[in-house]
Amino acid sequence: MVDVLRIKDLIVEYTTQRGTARAVDRVSLTLGENRTLGLAGESGCGKSTLGRSLMKLVPYPGKIVSGDIILNIDHDITWKKGTIKKGDVSILELNDDQLRMIRGSEIAYIFQDPMTSLNPMLSIGKHFIQIQQAHDPTIEDEQALERAKEVLESLGILAERVDDYPHQFSGGMRQRVMIGLGLVLRPRLLIADEPTTSLDVIVEAQILEEMAELKEKFNLTMILITHNLGVLAQTADDVAIMYTGRLAELAPTEALFENPQHPYTEALLQSVPDVTKPDKKLAWIPGAPPDLVNPPDGCMFNPRCPFAMDICKQEEPPLIQSDTGGLVACHLYGRS
Amino acid sequence: MTQVLSGIFFHLGKRKESTKDYSKKWWAVILMLTVLVVLIVAALIAISLTARSGVGIHVVAGTFLLAMTSLLTASYIKRINLPNNQVTRHPVYLPVAIVSVFFAITSLVLGYIIYPTDPIGFGIVMIAGGIVLSVFFLLVYEGYPRLKIHGSPGILAISGLLMVTAIIYMTVIADWIVPYSPFHINVGGIREPPNPSFPLGTTSLGQDMLSRVIAGGATMLQVAAISVVVCFSIGVPIGLLSGYRGGLVDKTIGLVMDSLFAFPGLVLAIAIAAILGPGILNMAIAIAVVYIPSYFRVVRSQVFTVRELPYVEAAIVMGARDRDILFRYILPNVLPSSVVIMSINFADAILTAAGLTFVGLGLSVDIADWGWDLTLGFQVLIVGAWWISAFPGLMVILLALGFTLTGEGLNEILTPKLRE
Ligand SMILES: Nc1ncnc2c1ncn2[C@@H]1O[C@H](COP(=O)(O)OP(=O)(O)OP(=O)(O)O)[C@@H](O)[C@H]1O
Ligand SMILES: [Mg+2]
Repeated sequence: MVDVLRIKDLIVEYTTQRGTARAVDRVSLTLGENRTLGLAGESGCGKSTLGRSLMKLVPYPGKIVSGDIILNIDHDITWKKGTIKKGDVSILELNDDQLRMIRGSEIAYIFQDPMTSLNPMLSIGKHFIQIQQAHDPTIEDEQALERAKEVLESLGILAERVDDYPHQFSGGMRQRVMIGLGLVLRPRLLIADEPTTSLDVIVEAQILEEMAELKEKFNLTMILITHNLGVLAQTADDVAIMYTGRLAELAPTEALFENPQHPYTEALLQSVPDVTKPDKKLAWIPGAPPDLVNPPDGCMFNPRCPFAMDICKQEEPPLIQSDTGGLVACHLYGRS
Repeated sequence: MTQVLSGIFFHLGKRKESTKDYSKKWWAVILMLTVLVVLIVAALIAISLTARSGVGIHVVAGTFLLAMTSLLTASYIKRINLPNNQVTRHPVYLPVAIVSVFFAITSLVLGYIIYPTDPIGFGIVMIAGGIVLSVFFLLVYEGYPRLKIHGSPGILAISGLLMVTAIIYMTVIADWIVPYSPFHINVGGIREPPNPSFPLGTTSLGQDMLSRVIAGGATMLQVAAISVVVCFSIGVPIGLLSGYRGGLVDKTIGLVMDSLFAFPGLVLAIAIAAILGPGILNMAIAIAVVYIPSYFRVVRSQVFTVRELPYVEAAIVMGARDRDILFRYILPNVLPSSVVIMSINFADAILTAAGLTFVGLGLSVDIADWGWDLTLGFQVLIVGAWWISAFPGLMVILLALGFTLTGEGLNEILTPKLRE
């Protein structure tokens, strides 16, 4: 199996007036073809920052400090000003022009808020035309529209609505349009950053279902960022749990849900309401995530961890192989 | 630009109401139109009957005919295409173009028959006046029902636009309908108060006030138009550049603009006009320099807001080209606010032009201009000749009011769309 994406020791920092905040800290990941990686964690733990840095699009004042992001490309990309040979490409070494060609056509990114992600002055069809012509100026408008209609129909949007403007669509439809825009260029990797957070549960379920189908149809590799662990249980092959920019645990979905290793993962799972067990007491994690500018010594989770030991306050736990076939960063394991 | 305009009049492209509702409105409009037309025609006929050129009535009739024909052409095209019981917008450019060409030819031919001394001039005035008048009628016919759904801002905008087009029409055909030459002195007594033969009185040089009021808008409109075009075509691009590029470019341009902005507008205009000397173009340039910073600032700050919006980011993520992001994502969302500035700028330019002429930096003496008459009239106000300054002053106010209403109305109509 080919590894579509390999991230090695990625560090991303935001320079603020108070100091530097490390939003992504030495994250390493490998993503095999056709796999879906779920990325979960509390708000502010750096999920979006990680997702964006994969396209080298960290918002100002963020900076990718070090690390490597290697994307596998299965065909040569040629355009007016250059080419990218197929094979492994290091994203961080690409120039702006090369990045532009990769964005959209190899990696697609879907944002959380569909209400504001479409240009109010352009019709849906124009969005599709413009995005296809940006990658291949020789495509005619009609041809581009045909493809747009095809993609929209597969997402359950009537083809004749291409002439409509964004404000004539509902939130769920707009998100479908965004997904369609993401997929129209047949990318290899799709990063969906909380794609259904702003939608109601029924639409959410529909869209996730459609995304799963499209994943098969378009042969996609996917990173699904979400707060909703229930969603991950259904869709992801592997789940990565992030805490303050670090990977706390990474394991195959089943193993992670059945046998969480890291105390933080366990706490997260405890805090998910379960309709089948209404008597279950909902746990919550005491305390708040630490300040990224002045992080605590040792394990970042130690001030909130029920199992905190002395060593947790002094030494940072390394990411080690766990018994369940995943990776975990916790002092509870690996010793003795 | 077309998008903005169609945004005003054709909001969604498709009209949601049924044909029946539409025809009801249509009848109301027809009624309004008739009353309006009768009033205007009566006034114009009264004036043009005594026109110096002798063909004033022909010009008025001709332009009305042209305007009515193009209006009917436009509405006929619309009413043919009614899919699903809806009135849809269809391009009416071609038939209108055909009609215009036809009229151009007939006007010229008519010119040779009716007014052999200057057939070309006659033809040109017929066409120009006809076009302005068609715009006027189209505004009532198309704009009224559409703008009415916006409530009072729509009414503001349409009444402003109507005032402006009416004044433009009057100015275009002025030469042909004035009872006396606006420049000839001693056509009547000196400072005659309004009386039947000189309805608005005469000036200190014995010129006919009515003729001067009718013809006096030309310079002002030209100055306003030129200066607005110059402002718009310089201010908007540099605002766009500055906002999009940011950094050093932004700082440098911003510094220049801020230092221009620091001067009081009229003082700066006076200084520049004094350096350049009198003349329409120089006056326009002086005014343009004063207003470029306003466009620059508004556009720049808008670009700053728009370029941070999620859909611009989404476009970058999808690998959109720089020029697409600038011209399809940022510019269209910035234009409405600069169009609003434009109409306010028009109003200000007119007042500044009047001010420049008032302090003697405007035009040569023999030109009929409201600003000039204000100056001259102001000096003789003390002997009780109020009519010399009152009527041109009224016209300046009307024109400025027209532009301000348009600007305010458009502001209200277009801004909520921006935030959507
Ligand atoms: N533009 C910025 N400037 C400074 N700090 C930032 C900026 N954007 C994000 N951060 C910081 O980086 C950290 C990670 O942010 P990020 O948006 O990646 O979190 P997230 O996991 O996606 O959160 P959420 O689930 O709420 O979307 C946060 O602590 C935040 O304070
Ligand atoms: Mg996020």
